[in-house]
Amino acid sequence: MNSKRFSPPSCTIKSRFTRRFLRAFLKINRQRTRTPSSPMEICQRYLKVKLAADVSMASAVGSRRAWSRAMLAKIRHGVRAGSASSLTMRKRKIYHGKKSTKEVGIVGNAKMLRKLVPGGEAMNTCSLLDETFHYIKCLSTQVKVMTRIADQICST
Amino acid sequence: MEPNSASYVLGSCPTRPEPEETVLESLQFRDEIQRLMTVPPENASSFTALLELPATQAMQLLHSSPHSAGGGGDEHKAYSSSSSFTNGNLTFPSNKALIERAAKFSVYAAAADAEISPETSPVPSNSSANLDKVKTEPAETDSNPGSSNKTQTQKLAKRKEREKKGKESAKKSKNQSCEDAEKLPYVHVRARRGQATDSHSLAERARREKINARMKLLQELVPGCSKISGTALVLDEIINHVQSLQRQVELLSMRLAAVNPRIDCNFDSVFATEGGPLIDSNIPSMVSPLLWPENPFTGNRQNFQQPWNFDALQQPLWGREEENHTFITPENSLLSYDSSANSASLHSNQLKMEL
Repeated sequence: MNSKRFSPPSCTIKSRFTRRFLRAFLKINRQRTRTPSSPMEICQRYLKVKLAADVSMASAVGSRRAWSRAMLAKIRHGVRAGSASSLTMRKRKIYHGKKSTKEVGIVGNAKMLRKLVPGGEAMNTCSLLDETFHYIKCLSTQVKVMTRIADQICST
Repeated sequence: MEPNSASYVLGSCPTRPEPEETVLESLQFRDEIQRLMTVPPENASSFTALLELPATQAMQLLHSSPHSAGGGGDEHKAYSSSSSFTNGNLTFPSNKALIERAAKFSVYAAAADAEISPETSPVPSNSSANLDKVKTEPAETDSNPGSSNKTQTQKLAKRKEREKKGKESAKKSKNQSCEDAEKLPYVHVRARRGQATDSHSLAERARREKINARMKLLQELVPGCSKISGTALVLDEIINHVQSLQRQVELLSMRLAAVNPRIDCNFDSVFATEGGPLIDSNIPSMVSPLLWPENPFTGNRQNFQQPWNFDALQQPLWGREEENHTFITPENSLLSYDSSANSASLHSNQLKMEL
């Protein structure tokens, strides 16, 4: 996607993310027990996988972007607490999402966006839109890669 | 930017395309400067005293104080030494326009009046420190409540406008439309028809256009957004899109956590669309290092840790080819090559185990 120096495919964000995520994912799976997993185990593994996805995405982007820096900082400071609370926070966001629209204008609506984009609180509107752009691109590659992996695993 | 504004004050040729004006202005200022110099400093040279001054003199002060170190003209030194100015408009030059301006900032004057009279200690260094601080602050509209800053921000905003937008021709129309008292060579911007010529609105317009440009990009990115008109709805769509992407990631990670993986799944096709047959050779390099760091054997480590580091550093492709060779062969010989029985059994276990 960017930083293609010699234009080798392995330097794109997508490939970097894929590599890191697969590494982490296989590592997580190696820790599985042979017995069928309990829901609790699955839940914990889900959290680990989600965290691995976030970390590998943020580290694939590096510190070039404010949102990746903010995400890495958040992860470093509170791993477990952050992941648990972000779940509940996100649910609340979904419910209240429609209420805060039609506010003042761009600046008003940007409040919602700031909560979504990591590190969005501390940016002005202009750079917030920049970061959102990049964040959306990275999120969509993340989704694509993860769907491919999931399909691979499920189909074979 | 700043050196330009500093230079114009003292008559040196600015980089503005109105040299005649500046010569006149510089002459005017020289007169006033001399007049001011003759007045003995009476009161404290606090920053509030400065606020009384019309913005022009304050600006000069601001720009002259850093120059005093460099030793500019005589006016500089005189300024820095006699940085305490008289209060009130009594000793101000008889230039009506300047008095008008001073009257405009009468708010500060009134406040300063109350403050100046009790103050008696001239502290030039202090004031110059204030000046320096004020000067180096970025030209934000929400900076210090100083009249001098106002004009500074106005100037910088106009300069920004001028630098960014080449469409507006540099004419004096804006200057003439503003207060006549301002003889300073501002960035002259011709306002568009029916639009305000305030510096504030110009800066805001620049901001708005930046934001609009970025919104357009976002519209193209988010599917279904290009048909929507109106930024509020577009923003809604963007927010929805981000939320849905985040939810998708969560769902997928749930799915990946719950699935029962098999041993023989290879992730070749995951990399397939990224192109390049070289990618396929990455797979063994990718999978195999996973196993090795976990294993306690020492012999293999030297072979494998190094390529592992390459992998982590993401060398360009020519570097990767080397490591792939080293990976593939040891991987094949992995089962046969073991430094201890433990490692062999571990390996076979891992290979048989669920991935």
